[in-house]
Amino acid sequence: MTVRTIELREPVMARNNEIAGTVRNRLAAAGVPALNLVSSPGSGKTLLLERTLAALSDELRMAVVTGDVQTQNDADRLARHTTRLVQAVVTGGACHLDAKQVDVALEAIDLAATDLLFVENVGNLVCPASWDLGEDAKVVLFSVTEGEDKPLKYPKVFRQAKYAVLTKIDLLPYVPFNVEQALGFAREVNPDLAFFRTSALTGEGLDTWFNFLRQLTRRPAPV
Amino acid sequence: MHEMSVAVEVCRLAEERLSPVELPQLITVGIDVGDDAGLEPDNLLFCLEALLAAPPFHRARPDMTRCSGDVLRVTYLELDDDRQDD
Repeated sequence: MTVRTIELREPVMARNNEIAGTVRNRLAAAGVPALNLVSSPGSGKTLLLERTLAALSDELRMAVVTGDVQTQNDADRLARHTTRLVQAVVTGGACHLDAKQVDVALEAIDLAATDLLFVENVGNLVCPASWDLGEDAKVVLFSVTEGEDKPLKYPKVFRQAKYAVLTKIDLLPYVPFNVEQALGFAREVNPDLAFFRTSALTGEGLDTWFNFLRQLTRRPAPV
Repeated sequence: MHEMSVAVEVCRLAEERLSPVELPQLITVGIDVGDDAGLEPDNLLFCLEALLAAPPFHRARPDMTRCSGDVLRVTYLELDDDRQDD
């Protein structure tokens, strides 16, 4: 037996990161900021996007790539609020989107006619944290029904995110959720995290979110 | 949860690095897995063992080293140059 060893020390995610770099360059060249929305299932990613598309479609040309393990249900929901193509990626069992899927999805999107790209990741707080999609920022959502310690339980995704959206705040009178404690836990993990507090159901807090998106695309709020 | 995706990527790296003649000669794939890599080590080992046992490999085995941080890398490939593809 003649054993030969090849030293590698090669990052496993190198290929994905390379494609993510290509996606990032394409988006930057087109001047399109991209947000990667991540959360556990049921936190309200799709509803927040529905409200956003419904409210801002006249001002901003928004494109959406949405990932689900099965079904195009989310894409169908979102498509009702925009005349633009909503790109659905059915992962067929995979628990996250990867950069290649986003790269392929972008082929069908006219970036020259796009102001803002949303990527709605598969509902999962673990795996999407490991896959760079070429986004400008991750936006992590968590709802008041999930428990204040989500940031401590899933630190990687909260550490990577630039923005956090606390959703379903209309339920605060009915659930034992301590907002300040939750925000404190999140800041413990990531002191630079910027917060939004929203209820997509009642509309509370959405104006702040919309203005943030306008600023991101350098569009002033309507007078 | 995404251990199979990672295992597939590890195997892709090995396939990329080795020639068709070398693939069945592969006996060990060394990987470093950080505590914060977001992976369940036993699940990753299970996936790697399944993939490395099947063609184009030939009963290769993973050799996992746990480390700190979010490290996730293939560290070495070990081949038996005398092994014949049966």
